[in-house]
Amino acid sequence: MAALASTESLQLMLQVTGLSMHFPVYKGLMRRQIGEIKAVDDISFHIMRGETLGLVGESGCGKSTAGRALLKLYQPTSGRVELDGTDVTALEGEDLRRIRTDMQMIFQDPQACLNPRMTVGSIIAEPLDEHTRLSRRQKRQKARELLDAVGMNPDYENRYPHEFSGGQRQRIGIARALALEPKFIVCDEPIAALDVSIQAQVVNLLEDLQQQHQLTYLFISHDLSMVRHIADRIAVMYLGKLVELASREQLYQSPQHPYTKALLSAVPEPDPEKEAIRERIILQGDVPSPANPPSGCNFSTRCPIAQEQCMRETPAWRELEGGRYIACHMVQ
Amino acid sequence: MFNYTIRRLLFAIPTLFVISFLIFAILDLAPNDPTGNLPLTIPPEVRENIRISLGLGEPFPIRYLKWCQQFFINEPLNLIEQWFDISIGDSENRLRVQSWATRSPVVDLIVERLPQTLWVLGLSYVIGILIAIPIGVISAYKQYSIFDQIGTFISMVGFSVPTFFTGLVCIVFFSSTLGWFPSIYDTTHEVTDLASFWFQVKQMIMPVMVLALFNASQLSRFMRASMLDNLSQDYVRTARAKGLKERSVLLIHVLRNSLIPVVTVIALGLPQIFAGAIITEQIFRVNGLGQLLIIGIQGADIPLVQTLTFIFAVLIVLFNLIADILYGMLDPRIRYE
Amino acid sequence: MKKALLCTAVAAGLFAGPAMAERGTDGQLKILYWQAVSILNPFLSSGTKDIEAASAVIEPLAKYNEKGNMVAILVDEIPTVENGGVSEDLKSITWKLSDGLVWSDGTKVTSADVAFTAAYCMHPEGGCAQVSNFTDVESVEEIDESTVKVNFSVAKPFPYGPFVGTQSPILNKAQFADCMGAKAPECTDANFGPIGTGPFMVSEFKANDVVSYVANPNYRDPAKPAFASVILKGGGDAASAARSVLETGEFDYAWNLQVEPEILNQMASAGKGKVVSSYGTSVERLMVNLSNPDPALGDKRSTLEGGPHPFLSDIAVRKALSLAIDRQTLVDVGYGSAGQVTCNVLPAPEIYASTANDACKTQDMDAAKKLLDDAGWVPGGDGIRAKDGVRLSILYQTSTNSVRQATQAIIKQWWSELGIETELRNIDGGVFFGGDQSSPDTFQKFFADIEMYTNNFDGTDPEKYMANWLCSDIPSPADQWLGSNMPRYCNPEYDALVAKMGSTAKLEDRAALAKQMNDMLMQDVAIIPLIHRGGVSAHANSLEGVKMTDWDSELWNIADWKRAK
Ligand SMILES: Nc1ncnc2c1ncn2[C@@H]1O[C@H](COP(=O)(O)OP(=O)(O)O)[C@@H](O)[C@H]1O
Ligand SMILES: [Mg+2]
Repeated sequence: MAALASTESLQLMLQVTGLSMHFPVYKGLMRRQIGEIKAVDDISFHIMRGETLGLVGESGCGKSTAGRALLKLYQPTSGRVELDGTDVTALEGEDLRRIRTDMQMIFQDPQACLNPRMTVGSIIAEPLDEHTRLSRRQKRQKARELLDAVGMNPDYENRYPHEFSGGQRQRIGIARALALEPKFIVCDEPIAALDVSIQAQVVNLLEDLQQQHQLTYLFISHDLSMVRHIADRIAVMYLGKLVELASREQLYQSPQHPYTKALLSAVPEPDPEKEAIRERIILQGDVPSPANPPSGCNFSTRCPIAQEQCMRETPAWRELEGGRYIACHMVQ
Repeated sequence: MFNYTIRRLLFAIPTLFVISFLIFAILDLAPNDPTGNLPLTIPPEVRENIRISLGLGEPFPIRYLKWCQQFFINEPLNLIEQWFDISIGDSENRLRVQSWATRSPVVDLIVERLPQTLWVLGLSYVIGILIAIPIGVISAYKQYSIFDQIGTFISMVGFSVPTFFTGLVCIVFFSSTLGWFPSIYDTTHEVTDLASFWFQVKQMIMPVMVLALFNASQLSRFMRASMLDNLSQDYVRTARAKGLKERSVLLIHVLRNSLIPVVTVIALGLPQIFAGAIITEQIFRVNGLGQLLIIGIQGADIPLVQTLTFIFAVLIVLFNLIADILYGMLDPRIRYE
Repeated sequence: MKKALLCTAVAAGLFAGPAMAERGTDGQLKILYWQAVSILNPFLSSGTKDIEAASAVIEPLAKYNEKGNMVAILVDEIPTVENGGVSEDLKSITWKLSDGLVWSDGTKVTSADVAFTAAYCMHPEGGCAQVSNFTDVESVEEIDESTVKVNFSVAKPFPYGPFVGTQSPILNKAQFADCMGAKAPECTDANFGPIGTGPFMVSEFKANDVVSYVANPNYRDPAKPAFASVILKGGGDAASAARSVLETGEFDYAWNLQVEPEILNQMASAGKGKVVSSYGTSVERLMVNLSNPDPALGDKRSTLEGGPHPFLSDIAVRKALSLAIDRQTLVDVGYGSAGQVTCNVLPAPEIYASTANDACKTQDMDAAKKLLDDAGWVPGGDGIRAKDGVRLSILYQTSTNSVRQATQAIIKQWWSELGIETELRNIDGGVFFGGDQSSPDTFQKFFADIEMYTNNFDGTDPEKYMANWLCSDIPSPADQWLGSNMPRYCNPEYDALVAKMGSTAKLEDRAALAKQMNDMLMQDVAIIPLIHRGGVSAHANSLEGVKMTDWDSELWNIADWKRAK
């Protein structure tokens, strides 16, 4: 079993190539298109089976959009997403619906993502109606099991979402995502809306579930310290583009991209000695609008080491040794 | 919920008394006089006699109390007597609320008019809803599409062009030019066979459609806005992520949630069915409750206007309560204790 | 019965063709009154619609025909002094019911019903709207089963108030006996379905909506009515009522169509129906101020004391003003079927209408100019005629109303052709007719040279109306400007005629007197009549027998209406 798991873990779960998601911007009476928001712009990465990839970046940089585009909740502008060898971007209709059983999403706002008029039981069981041929009793049984699995009283199945606390709702959201036994789950800031005291519980639950069900996660967060806990590898995003991707250790110990460095410098160190000498890099200026990104490197307007070349040329996304990736002219 | 309903109903009683008093006072202060329409050749003494015979000789509080007694005690007693075919007390000499112009009990007039008003307005309301909901749903789902643009245009037109205009256009076109439908509603018509049923359909089509269009244009806008509100909610994305069919996403998740406020609006609008559509009734001579009210106002038939207005007030209070209760039933987040 | 029979014979000769008509063979008659009927007891309502709807069911002893003449209905003969029906002292009138009259329920019509009707309306607590018809009635006696005598407290030269005309029909005593006085409004069944002697009976009544009638099986003429049933629908407005007869043809008759002439003409051009008019006594007229409205006179302005008008006191000028007017043009522009040219201030009923002044019907500009030239009014440098420094400059006022303003503008044009300057003024109707003592703009104060409005009188008897122009009725500050003699016309001869009429009973003599008074006013040009205004209705081409009248219900002869063959 362990051997199988290890060979499997070498397999590619998700391969993303040149994914872009541009939202058109309309204006005026005739709703003419006057431009586009490059929420996600040409990103490429992969995730191995059983792995957790952290995706971090400031709020508004396009993380959620990327996650949704991966699952084809949006129709991507361009690029290719292969889940377990199937090109998701090309799927439509029935095929797409079928593949949704393999990929799920846990949302940031556990309140808004649950239909307020459905009971917890029916929210969890609904995908079973669509995708399985279970009997009513079996479905009910399954919903109760799932509730149990996420640490909730199965008798809550007849209650409505608004009767629960935020943490409980997020557990319901997780149970719902697990119902179809997916292979891959996008966790879009699943704990950002929760009380700090509950955050750890939910993260632990996610980790336990990953163990039990051999799940592959894309874990989105704006908070580097949280990702550190759960992710195997971490991708850093800025203004619709990936700037750096590396294993957890590599990234925390030797960040390469000036943006990553700036982000990490803001994370408090658990070690008080290190914390004392921690130097904060304060970035100048505001994040530019994704509707009107700067020319050249997106980060050039705020980069402390930017050169004239950075303003002109968009840096390529390239692989460094040790399986890490970066997009920066200044890093050799 | 039950306690809540009872409490609300109890609170409604003093409210309604205040309303009835206000209506009475306003009508009393209004400068119209039932003898005002009499020809100038009628001498003042005769006018005064007529006024006294109508009960206007008594002071205001007495008249109000008399009306209260007639409306709240005598009329219900009379109804009970009619329903159960019994007689309670001195029913011969029990005064009912009498209309001044027709000298007949106001409640009988109202009952006589209910069928055509309910049929025409009720049907127009139902058809309006049936038109509005799909249009609202499709418009919102395909926001900014050609369908949405045309729908928006038509509902703007339907909403801003008054019914007296659309009604007139319909009459000129369908009655005068084509001769398809009668322009005058026959309230004495009885449906007995297929032919008479067909006639009934023909005479109802124009008023019903004119009103339905008007209702639908309002409601479809409302439906569209509510759908748009819900379409952008996260739970819709969740539903899609579940791999549901698009139809299920739309009908089970979005539509049901969007209907909650729309159902409330529909419930709140229901009293207007009883209030009648004054203008449409006038144009097509449907002669329902709206026309009864307008004739009452024109002829200064104060007991009629008072009673009708008060019944509308009761209905409005009632349907407000119904709307609240419906909301509570449809939306599990809302609980009344 | 003689007169009624004659009437029937004439009607039959005109409309029935060779075959005698039969009751109820013409199906349903559909009538539209855009003011819906509220009640079918005319004593409890003064609405024309209610009274007319009731007139198909309950009838008076005598009605007025389309010419304004009385016709016997439930009697054989109209009582007069000559036939002994009216006492010599003019204080009583005796009616004798026709033989064999029955109510629609088959019971006999008796004098008790007539006497009861009077008692019903005269009851002090009944609030009877038609009680003015019973003015001065002292008592109503049942002489025998079919004879009834009305006693008046004063001499009544015109004793035809009670029981004559639609507003004074006879009620069925048996039906209304329990409905006297304060009980009157409670008899809903009786008030909604009176038993009558008329050609139809009420089969269903929806108040403020529709009346359904069926032919009265006991109607006195076995051949009538031609229609088996009648629907009288209410609601809507005049224009759409006109449309339903003239354009869509859904209805046979529509009442009271106050619609702009062009619209009505356009509808009529569809060829489905005819617009018909009836003329009562309304006349749109110019009042000529014979007194001096000069503001310099202060309190004496427009009073007899202020002296005569500087130029309107010259009859040549007044005549010229009238001659310059083309009345037909005024009718065409503003009235259409609702107006006709008239040269009398008392244009109707027919027996009172003079023909002595008809010259005014044609405009004669040359004659008008010649009159002024001969009288010494010659055009000055500015084209305006003047004499001895007095210029012919007129201030012409009326109430605010689009038709009146159009009329003013046209008349101003004609007068300027004559060489007379006209300044136009219009005053809000509420002020003009309002009688406010403090306002200088009322029609009684008449602080102008010419003013225009409509007046009329109720019923058919012009005695009171002609008394408007007595010397003693000239408005003045002393009587709070309440007089009715707007032209300030003062002629002892005229006053004598008014007095004479007050003691003359014979209809023909009264008519002669009224005509004489009218002619006097017209020849003296104290009043310049313009338009005889009427009511307008419409009926389908397929409906025959309509004789529209302003003196009685428009349905007064509904028994004679029939389908064209
Ligand atoms: N449906 C949309 N239409 C237009 N712009 C969008 C849409 N969704 C997101 N955006 C824009 O794309 C950018 C990225 O948004 P998002 O992916 O939500 O960021 P993050 O999740 O990293 O906070 C933002 O500027 C946002 O305004
Ligand atoms: Mg986000």
